[in-house]
Amino acid sequence: MNEQTKVKINQLPTGVPGLDEILGGGLPEFSFNIIAGAPGCGKTTLAHQMIFANATVERPALYFTVLGEPALKMLRYQQQFSFFDAAKLNNAVRFVNLSQDLIERGLQGVLDEISKRVEAANPSIVVVDSFRTVLRSELHEGKDMAVQTFVQQLALLLTSWEATTFLIGEYSESELRDNPVFTVADGLLWLFQQVDRNSVVRKMQIMKLRGQASVPGLHTFRITEAGLQAFSRTLGLVGQRKTFDRVKYLSMGIPTLDEMMGGGVPEGDSLLIAGSSGTGKSLMATQFLAAGIRAGEPGIAAVFEERPNEYTARASEFGLDLQTPLADGKLEVIYLRPLDLSVDEMMQEILDAVKRTGAKRLVIDSLAGFEMALAPSFRTDFRESLYRMIFALTAVGITILSTLEMPETFTELALSTYSISFLTDDIIRMRYVEIDGQLSQIMMVVKMRRGAHSREIRQYQITTEGIVIGERLKNYVDLITGIPQPISVLRSEELLLNRKV
Amino acid sequence: MRSSDTPTTRELAQRLLVNEEVEANPVVSDMQSVCRVCDRLRRPLTTLAGAAGFRSLLSRALTLAKQESPALGAWEVKPDGSLDGLNGEAAQSGVVLIAQLIGLMITFIGESLTMRLVHDVWVDLPGSEVSFGRNESK
Repeated sequence: MNEQTKVKINQLPTGVPGLDEILGGGLPEFSFNIIAGAPGCGKTTLAHQMIFANATVERPALYFTVLGEPALKMLRYQQQFSFFDAAKLNNAVRFVNLSQDLIERGLQGVLDEISKRVEAANPSIVVVDSFRTVLRSELHEGKDMAVQTFVQQLALLLTSWEATTFLIGEYSESELRDNPVFTVADGLLWLFQQVDRNSVVRKMQIMKLRGQASVPGLHTFRITEAGLQAFSRTLGLVGQRKTFDRVKYLSMGIPTLDEMMGGGVPEGDSLLIAGSSGTGKSLMATQFLAAGIRAGEPGIAAVFEERPNEYTARASEFGLDLQTPLADGKLEVIYLRPLDLSVDEMMQEILDAVKRTGAKRLVIDSLAGFEMALAPSFRTDFRESLYRMIFALTAVGITILSTLEMPETFTELALSTYSISFLTDDIIRMRYVEIDGQLSQIMMVVKMRRGAHSREIRQYQITTEGIVIGERLKNYVDLITGIPQPISVLRSEELLLNRKV
Repeated sequence: MRSSDTPTTRELAQRLLVNEEVEANPVVSDMQSVCRVCDRLRRPLTTLAGAAGFRSLLSRALTLAKQESPALGAWEVKPDGSLDGLNGEAAQSGVVLIAQLIGLMITFIGESLTMRLVHDVWVDLPGSEVSFGRNESK
């Protein structure tokens, strides 16, 4: 059937950030859906969020409660969420308790009461919570209606009356097979609450959705005082990376380093600063942000190891004023350390901040701290998640600087513990070396994907003015091992060897 | 007095009772006014909480009211949620019962939603701008 003749299925907004995208645009209008999951996974909150987002006085939402949570208690708890609009109660959103009808007249009584209410109210959305309790066998045993007939008649009634329906039930996955409820349903939305060590991770899956393409797989979600927020597992993977007509080089805030990098970091690149503890990675990142602010480029710092006020206070010790841009909205410091974070949440937080501030620069300080903030189950996929996040963020044109703490070895020069070098366009390596019985610091530009860069290994110092890069260390070999040898010593040894030979 | 049974809930209860007396035709007694107020509240509360839910709520309110007004001792809540055993002497204590019922609603669903429900029933209730102090409703 061509585009002109096929029926158009309207989509209702869910009111849940991120969920419309997962559903493929929104809720299919007039669909008959199940929201399933274990107790406490957010089914009722999800349903409330959807009804408050859609109900109007003309096309209200009818929320039928059956033997589960009484509506009075439901109202007590649900009004704590910011989406709860008390002004809609009893006009746009109407709660009806069906317990008595079920107890006295079984499924037929429930169907009759729903029919009566639906015909009188002309609702756009109908919710039955908990549908599972309606169907419990002991309650309708001996009554005159079979479960399958009841479900089919209910679906027929609600669809005929142009209502989008949600049946809420505490189902387990083992009940999926041969269940008439799931067969009749157009949509099946399953909520999970997984415990992994001490962390709790919430996930959802659209197991079935007729009429439109939803995003397959498990998507994380969080419940806050604003209700549910969902994070599509394909967040950011749609679309092309932003391209620039010509390469613009962003200053690192350290002129000598800009020179070493061939002019600075190319706009839209992902730059990795790798080094051991105390080598000045965070300071370099802060100088990068401050240089951006000076150039009129708003920035974002995602920090995991210190709080926003500590972050700006530390910057001020180096003469960098981040407090003013923070107050002016030109800088946002995102501090997330919930220990059950998902990469998707972090990504969403940053993307939202990019929209708010128009940020051009992003600092992630550090990747190790980021990994620690993730729930254990997400840490196993950290590398893949980073790939997705960097792809998504560079796709919007932001330039990313990530810091990575490296264990210092004195035999080799590792570039990253996560094998993520391939994810980054540019790499700067900082490390300690022993020179003349003193611990010194060196840095080198290891990789600049888009162009030529200095190959020099330069000594640097951390001063109250920030990082000051010195001259190339010409008189040593094996600098990158951390235990260099003076060339003069090697030459004398060479001469000695030649004499012996 | 319970935290949700405040002078304001008493005042509201009193106004509901007076309203029923005025609106009733022919004129009804104090006792009948109490029944009328409970009956009018029964409908929205039954819709929300079910018949059993309403009965539980009214029973709790009656128990609390009896602690303050022993004259209500003979009053009972019937299985259908209506009041039984009413005697004329205790009728004036009916305001305590209504105040306790409203107080319970405030305890469970808060002042804002309670007032919405009350106003849905008594649309033209005079002085409907009654406001519960923040401290009172807690």
